[in-house]
Amino acid sequence: MSKHNRIRYFCRKFLTFTVSIFLLSFLVFYISRLAPGDQLVSYYGDRVEKMSPKEREWAEERLGLKDSITSQYFRWLGGAVQGDFGISYKYKMDVTEVIAGRIGNTLILGGIGFLLIFILALLLGILCAWYEDKWPDKIICKAGTVTSCIPEFWLSLLLILIFSVWLHLLPSSGAYSVGGGGFADRAVHLILPLTIVVTGHLWYYAYMIRNKLLEEVRADYVLLAKSKGLAKRSIMFRHCLRNVIPSYLSIMAISVPHVLGGTYIVETVFSYPGIGTLSYESARYKDYNLLMVLCLLTGIVVICSNTVAQMINERIDPRIRAEVKEP
Amino acid sequence: MSKQFEIVGARQLPDNPSRKSEKRCGGKPLFSAIILGAIVAGCLCAGWIAGKDPSYLDLQHYNLPPDKEFLFGTDTMGRDIFSMIWHGGRLSLVIGALSTLISTVIAVIFGAVSGSAPAWLDGLLMRLADIILSVPSLLLVIFLQAFLGKANVLTISMVIGVTGWMSIAKVVRTEVRQIRGSEFVLVSKCMGGGFFHVLWKHLAPNFMASIMFMVVMNVRSAIVAESTLSFMGIGLPVEVITWGSMLSLAEKALLTGSWWVILIPGLFLIVTLMCLTNIGNYLRESGNRRCRNL
Repeated sequence: MSKHNRIRYFCRKFLTFTVSIFLLSFLVFYISRLAPGDQLVSYYGDRVEKMSPKEREWAEERLGLKDSITSQYFRWLGGAVQGDFGISYKYKMDVTEVIAGRIGNTLILGGIGFLLIFILALLLGILCAWYEDKWPDKIICKAGTVTSCIPEFWLSLLLILIFSVWLHLLPSSGAYSVGGGGFADRAVHLILPLTIVVTGHLWYYAYMIRNKLLEEVRADYVLLAKSKGLAKRSIMFRHCLRNVIPSYLSIMAISVPHVLGGTYIVETVFSYPGIGTLSYESARYKDYNLLMVLCLLTGIVVICSNTVAQMINERIDPRIRAEVKEP
Repeated sequence: MSKQFEIVGARQLPDNPSRKSEKRCGGKPLFSAIILGAIVAGCLCAGWIAGKDPSYLDLQHYNLPPDKEFLFGTDTMGRDIFSMIWHGGRLSLVIGALSTLISTVIAVIFGAVSGSAPAWLDGLLMRLADIILSVPSLLLVIFLQAFLGKANVLTISMVIGVTGWMSIAKVVRTEVRQIRGSEFVLVSKCMGGGFFHVLWKHLAPNFMASIMFMVVMNVRSAIVAESTLSFMGIGLPVEVITWGSMLSLAEKALLTGSWWVILIPGLFLIVTLMCLTNIGNYLRESGNRRCRNL
């Protein structure tokens, strides 16, 4: 690819990215304003019912709810470009501040969870493919199918029941104890949510690795390598695994938002103060400014990870790079 | 054949290399089918199996562990869990089936349109699917549910169906793109076959096999979605009995340590999901497996 083409390539990527984000924000804004529910209630609470019509009008004017939705959207967009996303109706703070206070917790949970899933899935997949149809493979496959069938919220309930209610070993909610917040304290609070996040996703990826490896093992080059006298171990790790890793990387890139999204349910069950509980609350209390930014954040993560996955794929397999025409 | 023409250097394969594995995974998932059938039948005849009224609040016997009278115990509101299981299962299964039907119909039409459309429209539609995928489905469901007003069985299946079609649509689109240039499609179009005729008679038989597995899995995820929503308190209310809404009492049950309120509906849920998974896996693996070279 020449330099000129590369610039065009990145411009294209950037343009699709911006257009997607723009469309997403417009869609979310429109749907959220059309949804039933009084926005004044989410800002003023129950006091709204006692307001006189005049006060109501004044309040609507103040929050800018009187214009048409489209003009409201463009006003919001104008502010958003300058980094002003409005205030959260419920917390009466800047949206960015509210999110900044919570996002760290979600990143810790999601990030560690993602790393664990990535590594464990690879190990489990290799183990299963190595012992195909023998007892380790059978046991892991059975266990994996069972765990993939258990809804996350129910597994959370079960673990809380066992470890918090019956055994009194682990805390059942929060990210740290009141007043505490040391490293050990946080780690103890992370154990149960992290277990749920990992078990919820692990088997899906491990099974994928297993199946891809089993496909590789049936390829002809394995026969050649074997007839050359290579050891089973070195065929598996040097040849088969090497062919599987690139597609695994791109799949894992796509799955970033899924793992992050998986933390939402876990966060709500454990009342873990993160983005998940925040978006659940903001949807329940119709805190639309907050919800907008959360949706956009999620959208950005998704589109970014999709783009990264696509780029990995294009690097590996030049045939996919169809759109960029070489002169 | 092999006596007349001998292929030089051909590798002799054992007669039937996959016989052993065929027995294991090619055999029909009879066990799962029987259990699933039993659960479905039990839910259908709920009135005969469970004599008690599932919505009767028995204030004298609330939060009782399983005993002879209340086989699975009673919940914190004094309802008999045994009859709730069978009556509630009905709705859970109906929601699963209904939302899968909705999402499959949307997916097939969307995927077929996208697959047979020119490149720019195809790109646009797939981008649209990506955008909808990008909002976590939970948020999307809450949004739509708020838009439709108070949740009932119909709206919740619609909401789950409308948010669950994207991945099937992608598969349909890929399959349609592969076969849309085939002669039989061209012939049918030339003879004046309309879009739906071609879709139903020529395209659908070709991609049905590859989406069957996803459709069964969709039933599974719809049941999970309903129970998760009801558990979180944004789905069906506690008065409408499903396996999910039974679990919405779990937080109270955790405080009193009444395990039967949590474990029993959950076990029924999981056994149903397991059976569906096994059947789905059978559909996926029914293709033959080749012999491995390693």
